[in-house]
Amino acid sequence: MATNAAQELEALLDAAVDAVIVINHRSEIMTFNRSAERLFGYSEEQVRGRNVSMLMPEPYRSAHDSYVGAYLNTGRARIIGIGREIAALRADGSVFPAALSVGQIRGAEPARFVGFIQDITTRKAAIEALRFERDRAQTYLDVAEVILLALDEHGCVTMINRRGQEILGYSEAELVGSDWFETCLPDAVRADRRARFAAELALQLPPQSESRAEILTRSGERRLIAWRTTALLDPQGQAIGCLASGEDITERQTAEDALRQSEALLRSAQRLAHLGNFEIVHPNGPQKWSEQMYEVLGLPRTHSPMTVAEFAETIVHPDDREHFFREWAAARAGLKRFDFEFRIRRADGELRYIHSQGTITTHPDGELVIGTLQDITERKHAEHELRVGQERLTHVARLSTMGEMATGLAHEINQPLTAIATYAQAAVRMMDAPGGADPTDLRDALVQIVSQSLRAGEVIRRLRSFVKTRTAHSEQLEVNRLVEDIRILAVPDARVNDVRLVLQLDPASPLVAGDPVQLQQVLLNLIRNAIDATCECPTALRELTISTRPLGDGVEVAVVDHAGGIPESVAQNLFNPFYTTKETGTGLGLAISRSIITAHRGKLSYRPTPGGGTTFYFTLPQLVGV
Amino acid sequence: MTKDKPSTVFVVDDDDAVRTSLRLLLKSVGLPVETFASAQEFLDAYDADRAGSLVLDIRMPGMSGLELQQKLNDMHAIVPIVFITGHGDVPMAVEAMQHGAVDFIQKPFRDQDLIDRINQALEKDRENRNGLRERDAIRQRIGHLTPREREVLELVTKGKANKVIAGDLDVSQRTVEIHRARVMEKMGASSLAHLVRMVIEADRAQ
Repeated sequence: MATNAAQELEALLDAAVDAVIVINHRSEIMTFNRSAERLFGYSEEQVRGRNVSMLMPEPYRSAHDSYVGAYLNTGRARIIGIGREIAALRADGSVFPAALSVGQIRGAEPARFVGFIQDITTRKAAIEALRFERDRAQTYLDVAEVILLALDEHGCVTMINRRGQEILGYSEAELVGSDWFETCLPDAVRADRRARFAAELALQLPPQSESRAEILTRSGERRLIAWRTTALLDPQGQAIGCLASGEDITERQTAEDALRQSEALLRSAQRLAHLGNFEIVHPNGPQKWSEQMYEVLGLPRTHSPMTVAEFAETIVHPDDREHFFREWAAARAGLKRFDFEFRIRRADGELRYIHSQGTITTHPDGELVIGTLQDITERKHAEHELRVGQERLTHVARLSTMGEMATGLAHEINQPLTAIATYAQAAVRMMDAPGGADPTDLRDALVQIVSQSLRAGEVIRRLRSFVKTRTAHSEQLEVNRLVEDIRILAVPDARVNDVRLVLQLDPASPLVAGDPVQLQQVLLNLIRNAIDATCECPTALRELTISTRPLGDGVEVAVVDHAGGIPESVAQNLFNPFYTTKETGTGLGLAISRSIITAHRGKLSYRPTPGGGTTFYFTLPQLVGV
Repeated sequence: MTKDKPSTVFVVDDDDAVRTSLRLLLKSVGLPVETFASAQEFLDAYDADRAGSLVLDIRMPGMSGLELQQKLNDMHAIVPIVFITGHGDVPMAVEAMQHGAVDFIQKPFRDQDLIDRINQALEKDRENRNGLRERDAIRQRIGHLTPREREVLELVTKGKANKVIAGDLDVSQRTVEIHRARVMEKMGASSLAHLVRMVIEADRAQ
């Protein structure tokens, strides 16, 4: 029976999963079961009778004998019946964590102890892993740049991460347990957010639903948060709160607003300026057109952008196509900026003026063309209106000058008419006389009549060409000739005002380019003013000199008077339109004269005449290439 | 300066064609003409003894027609002036009339209108010259009176009676009557009225 019992025990020990070790009061190993052999790497023969401390690494090894001794002397157990975690030493010297429980075998004398040892390496690792996971989760929560917030079913904060605390300005302790809606939301949105929370709890919102709302920080600042929320469910599927992540998008919103605003601004600016921009890869690469491109070209939005060739063939006005291709080819050849104008025929048939600017650079698929198209039709029309208006004004000024000279001109035409009438009447009388007329006298009279008719006709011809409505044009001019030509109009005016007109024309004066009538207008205006200034003077000073002389790269034409000069108060306004010192003046003469000379790339000004009086002069550049 | 000397039409105009055509016209009606291209030229050649009339352009460079008229007036010249004016010269023409011009005519003109005005002017010149001759004769006769006779002439032509004159001169009434008869005789007056007219004529146009 005893043998049987021992055999049963042995079988039992061998079947046990735990390592089972029995030691005596001297800590000598008496029993070492199969599991112990597997666990420690020793056979029972190798360890029997040896001190059990061989299975322990330091410092447990040294402490072991004194521990057993102390127990035997005092009966005070430290591990018996309790069990503890220890470190164990294998035969191959490796150490592993183990759970040890120890019991004293009753009735054995001297004392014997049985120890059960379990390898807890795996369990330890699992616990470590769990702890690590938990720490990592916490780290995630804390390093996340979003607010992570958990609320219970009452809306009280159960968790908030570091970022949330930072943004709100509250500590975790202050927030956890407080009513989220009361503490952290501005009055305006509180009711809405509560309703949303209720819907969340009622599972009426999809998981991860998104929303935007403002929160109120401790300092009273409002921040715009983009929330993503999801309900927290218990195992029965009941909502017990919600989890939310919130991103502070205050700055982003501001930036987005700014971007949206500037895009809107650009769009309206383009609309206002009738300006579209494009970015295309020539010849067959991607084509990008801004909205306004379609407006400018009168195409529907749905129309696809065109290549340059298509554009030229279908949109550019046929008369401007050659010009368009020339400019385009030049820009491509030089890979440079382009800047030119052309007309288009829009889909609705309307003719529009277009100004295009941009750059051409190389691109793997050809050339990258970035530029703008601007509808400048209105500007063109305005420019045209302005030009027409200016021409009209110039004409009015010319008429006005003529009006001032009317007395002299009437006189100038009246003289030959008087001579003609008188010659003719004399001829009639000669023929009626007894004995008839002397043929020589009669012939002289007729020759004079012809000559005087031509003289009157010439004055009228000059006058007509001077006052008729016309479009300005430029031609090659001899300045001296110009002065000679104006003489026939100026002399009568001088004559009736009893002013002498002296010409001093330098034969070396160069050719200039300009509009003859406009330049004569300027000259006549200066002469007219000089006559007005002079006609109150004593006879000796009633003389004007009109001179020409080469000057630098051009010529100077001057009208010299010996009158009283120009008072300071008049000089300040001299060239201002509508400023006049004359009772019937328009105040346009000098202003228009100056603009005419400026348009001829010259300069109109005045200086004192040496010895008294004023010299008005203008310069004109020499005709280039002659 | 006899009555028989022919009158001349003097034409002053700076416009060659107008001047020449006028010469031709006036020649064609048998008027002697002399032409001048400027007022100064005429002034330089002016002879107060030559009978005639002046056809004068009102506007001219240098000395104008009006200025020439002023100069002639200053010289007590009696030559009658017909002004030739352009359109718009009416204010100047009015001024010329105020200073004694015979008339003015606007360019261009009918030949007959001009000739009529010239003839008027020549007639005026003849009258002027006759008047001048008459005045000279009266002044000569007055020059032949004694001082006492001249005193009596002055008082008689003021309409004073012989008795009053005798009182003024402190002589007898009879003496006055004798002086008066001699004055009447020396002056060639047929009546007191005639005598008064002669004295007024002599005093005119100093």
